[in-house]
Amino acid sequence: MSQAGTTVTWAAQVLGGTKVFGSGEAEVRALDGVTVGFEQGRFTAIMGPSGSGKSTLVQCAACLDRLTAGRVIIGDVDATNLDERRLTRLRRDRIGFIFQQFNLLPTLTARENITFPADLAGRRPDQAWFDHVVDAVGLRDRLDHRPSELSGGQQQRVAVARALVGRPDVIVADEPTGNLDSNSSAEILDFLARATAEYGQTVVMVTHDPVAAARADRVLFLADGRIVDDLVGPTRELLLERMGTLAR
Amino acid sequence: MLRFAVRNLRAYAPRFVATALAVVVGIGFMAAGLMLTGAMKSALLGSVDRQYASVDAAVVSLIDFEGVSPGVSPAALEQIARTPGVAAAAGELTAPVRILGEDGTTRASRTVGRAWIDDPDLNPLEVTEGTPPTDGVVLDRRTADELDLAPGDTVTLATPIGRITRPVVGLSSFGDADSIDDGGTVSFAPDDALQVLGTEARGWEAVLVRAEPGTTALDRTLATELADAYRVVGGADFRTERQALTAGVVDVLRPVLNGFAWVALFVAGFVIANTFAIVVTQRRQELALVRAIGGTPAQVRRALLAEGVAVGVVASALGIVAGALLSAGVVWLVGRLGYRLPGAGLSVTPLLVFGCLAAGTVVTTVSVLAPAIRAGRTRPVEAMRIGAVDRSGTSTARAVVGGTLLALGLACLLGVRLGGWTSWLLGPGALVLFGGVIVGGPLLARGFAVLLRPATRPLGLTARLAVDNTVRNPRRTATTANALVIGLFLVTVVTTSGEAFKSWATGQLDALSASDFIVASAGAPIDDEVVEAIDGIPGVRRTAPVRTTVSASTTTGQTPVSGADVELLRETTGLEVVEGSLEEVAAGGAAAVVDFSTLTLGSLGGTESGSGTTGGGAGGPPGGESPFGPGVGLGDAVAVTRPDGTVESVPVAATLRARIDSLTLGILVSEETLTDLLGPQPVNLVYVRTEAGAAEDVGVAIDGVLQDFTGVEVVPGNFLGQIVGQVLDFLVAAVNALLGVSIVVALVGIVNTTTLSIHERRSELGVVRALGTTRGQVARMVVGESVLVAVLGTVVGVGCGVLVGWVLVGALGDGSVPFSLNPARVASIVAAGLLVGVVAAVAPARRAVRVDVLDAIRAT
Repeated sequence: MSQAGTTVTWAAQVLGGTKVFGSGEAEVRALDGVTVGFEQGRFTAIMGPSGSGKSTLVQCAACLDRLTAGRVIIGDVDATNLDERRLTRLRRDRIGFIFQQFNLLPTLTARENITFPADLAGRRPDQAWFDHVVDAVGLRDRLDHRPSELSGGQQQRVAVARALVGRPDVIVADEPTGNLDSNSSAEILDFLARATAEYGQTVVMVTHDPVAAARADRVLFLADGRIVDDLVGPTRELLLERMGTLAR
Repeated sequence: MLRFAVRNLRAYAPRFVATALAVVVGIGFMAAGLMLTGAMKSALLGSVDRQYASVDAAVVSLIDFEGVSPGVSPAALEQIARTPGVAAAAGELTAPVRILGEDGTTRASRTVGRAWIDDPDLNPLEVTEGTPPTDGVVLDRRTADELDLAPGDTVTLATPIGRITRPVVGLSSFGDADSIDDGGTVSFAPDDALQVLGTEARGWEAVLVRAEPGTTALDRTLATELADAYRVVGGADFRTERQALTAGVVDVLRPVLNGFAWVALFVAGFVIANTFAIVVTQRRQELALVRAIGGTPAQVRRALLAEGVAVGVVASALGIVAGALLSAGVVWLVGRLGYRLPGAGLSVTPLLVFGCLAAGTVVTTVSVLAPAIRAGRTRPVEAMRIGAVDRSGTSTARAVVGGTLLALGLACLLGVRLGGWTSWLLGPGALVLFGGVIVGGPLLARGFAVLLRPATRPLGLTARLAVDNTVRNPRRTATTANALVIGLFLVTVVTTSGEAFKSWATGQLDALSASDFIVASAGAPIDDEVVEAIDGIPGVRRTAPVRTTVSASTTTGQTPVSGADVELLRETTGLEVVEGSLEEVAAGGAAAVVDFSTLTLGSLGGTESGSGTTGGGAGGPPGGESPFGPGVGLGDAVAVTRPDGTVESVPVAATLRARIDSLTLGILVSEETLTDLLGPQPVNLVYVRTEAGAAEDVGVAIDGVLQDFTGVEVVPGNFLGQIVGQVLDFLVAAVNALLGVSIVVALVGIVNTTTLSIHERRSELGVVRALGTTRGQVARMVVGESVLVAVLGTVVGVGCGVLVGWVLVGALGDGSVPFSLNPARVASIVAAGLLVGVVAAVAPARRAVRVDVLDAIRAT
């Protein structure tokens, strides 16, 4: 594994992660002993063909799913053996999510969607930080609209704001641009990149779009449940070339 | 398309379970009612037929009024027996007796004493052991078995003439059954029966006649022979008359039970419509696909209707099975309580099966109609869209129509109560109001949420989300709540108006108690010994024995005629004369009658306020036209029918204020006049007045005196109030229990809607969970949603119920009945409604909590 230095802080780590679905004949090994760390304040993209295990990896890393074997550590907390309740709290407080389908709550306004995790925890969000994030994603005048009144790009910006406003240890984005046009995609990627650069936010993004992955600091390639490549400072050309190699 | 429907049913079977359940409950109840009453009726009719199988003619009194009719004299029986063509004649006589233990305690309380019929053909009973009761009594097999008695033993009995002992000489059976009477039978020799069952003065209840073979027109012969002093009935007519008497209960019971079943089915209709609407939404993509590849709207509609019919038929069939189980359960339960329902089996007729199937299927099909039509309108392009969440809005048309109906209904009801409009508007007003609730339901749901939203703030986000979720589809929420509204509305109307009438009626009746105790018999005479014993009790100031019989004909039918020592009676009960004087009545040859103009709901209560005694019901609303028939006043005459059928006109010398005592008396004459008119009559009513403060001790003492006598009951002077109170309480409880069925159906509806809406929102729940909502929070949200629907239904239902109850009480009581709302009762109805919400949420909440986060997110 390539590591930037000796004093690296890991926002999230998966150690020897193995995930098996089904059993016997139908057994599928989605992750096969993956060990990976996501450095704090960096933007990591995960690529790989369909079925390579990239979604499973982030879902396990985000504590949405449990590994069959191996450990997951979020910040300084070993999440491997936490019970359902603690795991839920961990997600709420230390992980932010951005989904392909935006997945906003339709009955809540944009503002309420953004503060939803904080409300769940019964916390008042940090008003100054909230304002800052809202201005950054340009939602100031849309805060009292419901998701159905927003465009796709705007909805995804709400989702980004929702993830950012809680200052989680790690933001997990699963194909965040998959449902967006190229303009909106570029906007969202800008936000994610700025979040890492300006606020030191850790972002892990699954994507199969090399344009999107090129915005990351580092790109991991997965195939058959293993990490097969690890690029730091990728360019679009480099990525296309690696993808070509992998496809072969 | 039929195959499509069948496949769908199979694929979506679980979703139809709740629909089916609603129908099963309704039809099950209907079937059980029909089966039970059917079995009871056929059993009752059958046993009447068996009992009087060989009766070719019967002779009864000209006047027959619930067992207090004068009977057929023993001399007449002899005359009948001698008539040519009569093979055998026997007197029928029954009275309640109790079998006592050696220490005087009751061992069997519901036994019937009967006169033995010597002619074996006429006698429905057979001796199975020992001999007929020539010098003792015969017990039925079951009673003897249960009490461990056998021929040769001696038995102590409480009878209308007091305690007696008789040797047991034999055991009897009634065909295959042990006893002809539910509670057991004690048969006496005919002469013994006349003495013991205490009707010597009156004779036989009826004389049963068997004809010589080949005799025709025996009834005509007998009528001539008896000179029309009695009524002669042919055998078949007699059986029909007796059947009408015994089966009358069933004929009343059946439509009542059916009515409740229809309410339950009506509620089920809402549940079915809702479930299908949701299922259609969930299958929108699939339906759109059918449309896209060439299915016509009509085909889509037909497919859904076919599904509805199939569900209806299957559920109705299951309902019939459930009904059979339910009635078997009822029979078993009643048996455990020590009663035997007539009719051991359940009667399942093809008509019943067909009727129940038809009812369930029709209700289901009609309810599916609207969702099916909507499904037919699915646009093919929707096949290409992702996700299907049923959304419904609230249109302006709906707001206008619903609002108008609500306003109109309210106006009618308030007009009746406050504006003095005709009470005929009550029914239509309530219906229109209800229509408004149904049409305007979605708006109510929306308004309700708007109102509640601020209130949820302190309760946190889950409560807020729960409120919001209920208005995502106001129409669905409203339909679900409406199912509950119907049941709770009816429960509230019944409870509040029943409560108001009860407290009013008991209050009024209590105020009217004049005598402290009334000793009354159920038709049988009260032994002189009893009257003397009561008179001798320390603390008794006066006792007034009264001989009452039914004989007087008025324009509306028969009323009681009572003979008594008028002065003594007046002192004991405090009869109040409106016009005329009781002295003339006491002197004989004249009668006192109730002045019915004093019997208006207002004046019956207003003994103090209605002090304008001379006017006779002055100021009362339409006086005189009471339910007892037009009043006969001073100077008029009443017609009394003598036992021989001739009519005697008796002048009215006094009118009495309508009080409980005077109403019980009917037409009051002196004892001599009564004997003169109707022959010697036994005492069957004794009024007792006690010294101040002695009432309680006297009551205990009277109970002691009556211990050995059957058929006589002592009731406190305010017994009517108590009885009316108990009857109303019982009615309210019974009606509410029956309405409970419809609330169960509504519960099924809420479970259904909540479950399906959770299914619909799976991905959303997944997101919420991913973002860190704990399982507890999700469960609370779902419970909140369900409770809110229940609250909506409860508030609307109870609110409308209280309103209609209030108007109803006002209309029926002409404003004289105060509407008293019992907060505890209303609170318990509300609590029941909320409980429904919580219970309904249990299963859906578990499902919601189990949603797999990853699955849910992927499923988008």
